[in-house]
Amino acid sequence: MIQQLFRLKIALLVVLSIMLMVQPSLAAIETVAAQNDDVVWTAPGQEKARQRAQQIIPMVDKVKEEGPIRRSQRLHATELSIKDAKNTYFLLDSPFIKAQEDHYGPVRFNHGQHAAASGDCSICHHLRPADNSSYIGDSNHPETVRCSACHQQAFHPDYPERLGLKAAYHQSCTPCHQQQNKGPVTCSGCHLNKVPEHKQLVKLPEKPDALQVTAECLRCHEDEANDMLHTAHWQWRGPSGHTQDHSREIRHGKGTTALNNY
Amino acid sequence: MDCLVCHDTTGTYKKSPANAGWPDDSVDLKFVAENVGHSSRQSCGNCHFNGGGGDAIKHADMGSNLAQPHPECDVHMGNLDFSCSECHTTRQHRIAGRSSSVAAAEGVVSCEDCHSATPHLGNSLLDHHLNKHSASIDCNTCHSPVYAKCTSTKTWWDWSKAGDKQRKPVLQDLGDVKGLPDYHVKKGEFRWQRAVQPDYSWFNGSMERVILGDAVDTRADIIALTAPVGMRNDPNARITPFKIMKGVQAFDALHHTLLIPHLFPRNADDSTAYWKHYDWAKSFADGMNAAKLPYSGDWLWKETWTYWRVEHEVMPATMALTCVQCHSSLQGEKTCDRCHQDSRHVDFKQLAHKTTDFRFLEGKRNDVEQLTQSTDYINFKNLGYKGDPIIHGGRFKQLPMGQVDKLNTTSVIDK
Repeated sequence: MIQQLFRLKIALLVVLSIMLMVQPSLAAIETVAAQNDDVVWTAPGQEKARQRAQQIIPMVDKVKEEGPIRRSQRLHATELSIKDAKNTYFLLDSPFIKAQEDHYGPVRFNHGQHAAASGDCSICHHLRPADNSSYIGDSNHPETVRCSACHQQAFHPDYPERLGLKAAYHQSCTPCHQQQNKGPVTCSGCHLNKVPEHKQLVKLPEKPDALQVTAECLRCHEDEANDMLHTAHWQWRGPSGHTQDHSREIRHGKGTTALNNY
Repeated sequence: MDCLVCHDTTGTYKKSPANAGWPDDSVDLKFVAENVGHSSRQSCGNCHFNGGGGDAIKHADMGSNLAQPHPECDVHMGNLDFSCSECHTTRQHRIAGRSSSVAAAEGVVSCEDCHSATPHLGNSLLDHHLNKHSASIDCNTCHSPVYAKCTSTKTWWDWSKAGDKQRKPVLQDLGDVKGLPDYHVKKGEFRWQRAVQPDYSWFNGSMERVILGDAVDTRADIIALTAPVGMRNDPNARITPFKIMKGVQAFDALHHTLLIPHLFPRNADDSTAYWKHYDWAKSFADGMNAAKLPYSGDWLWKETWTYWRVEHEVMPATMALTCVQCHSSLQGEKTCDRCHQDSRHVDFKQLAHKTTDFRFLEGKRNDVEQLTQSTDYINFKNLGYKGDPIIHGGRFKQLPMGQVDKLNTTSVIDK
């Protein structure tokens, strides 16, 4: 009984949060943008992906019991392909991911490319909801609901067997990239790290001169400064591997041999 | 370079033009330092949007509009908000990317890094044919069919006309870009263009480059200071779009080297700078001395070309070049039966006769309708073909598709 009440409460919360998320619809935002000249510039595709990522959808309660081979065969028989996908691009930026810690930026996920490269939807869409009815709205097909339909918060008390969304992503992406020897496998290969707030870190007097500022940056970033000294952006020359008959030289660049009278 | 020039997020950092790389006195350096972050289109663009001394002058496909671009100007930056460093990935502050203009390169960026060598997703007839094209055609050929869409770029710069203090610039409008001058007394004569159809060349990733001090053949009509390397029978070369920056520059009449003028006065006492005294003789003598190169004292003006690869300004897929815009032979075809057994299930007209949706270019150039209707868009003859490869054969395969030549297959083979 208590368990059921708890679930009801969760469900209510989820419905409420969806209502809040969905409230400022895309059309409404666009109208506001058109009216207001000094509105912040946004990239429409990215903005839609960002809003999709924030949506929390009702969690699938029961999944269909099915082995991976049968599932793969059955999915192939349905002739589902990337042409059936509602979205070819996702921003992996769900609130569930950031619940515990938030050191990295969201990941861009090229759904279309992954679907085409694998040719087998069941590799990622490894299970499906037990019943068809309620998930079609979010996906074009109940076979291929999004990850967060089943994977949400970590250590969910009602679904202890399910990985949280963040772990599900990492368990899905990284081993596959390793096995295929394709795609990034390091943190920064997928994520941009978040730059910590520097207001408290930077210690400078009022009206510092340029050298004081650089010295202050180097107080923590000495390695980066040393790296910088060896780059083309510092030296204005570098390896010219793609210049005919000069491909083994390192002396060419804008600061040395480039002809540039414009 | 200091740290802040790239890591400023406030948009308030700027260099002082006459002060050799030092920040401008008006910049609140403490405020900038307290708000550092990742580089952005704006921070990279502060330098890279301004090659040639102004917005998009040399780099036609990289102008200040890319800081906040319209999605149809550049689908990556405008629709999906990509920052430069997401493609130009960095390792120990070495930034990947190879320029057609400058020799130094610290890594290569290509569309295939994300989109693979078979980027046309799906398993339709069209996907199949397009993916086969990827081996011979650079992505930008179809996907960046015009450059400088959302700004204007200089395509002609004649230094020899500089110094005429009587000449008044004529102002030109290109759509909503207004008042582009055709003359500047310090710089000479210009031509501006907008939404330009590129020139196409075979390109295998390397460039020919005249470097400082190289002698060139000054008897030639045109001297290419940079040019793409590649030819039709080079399997690594692909048909690639370029902006050719044309102009007139001075060469040493005896040593046949490009002359380096001294332009910007070093100080108030400068007695040789062209932008102060308008005297080429003094300016070249000083410039070549500073470059430690011999100078005979005589010069001649020659037309020069530099090739600038068109890589950015990728348009949405609906605006990519279509089959019939290059393959004029498809216009007369009604079915697939030139190459395949005919299938009534294929809507050949929809597949092959469709033209590119260039409506976005209305108002940016005057002949959009003509551009949309044009065939042989990439100019096959210039690329070493006898004509449309459907008729005359591809570069490595000579399938018997030229029906006129069907009985005499050897004539199909285009050596």
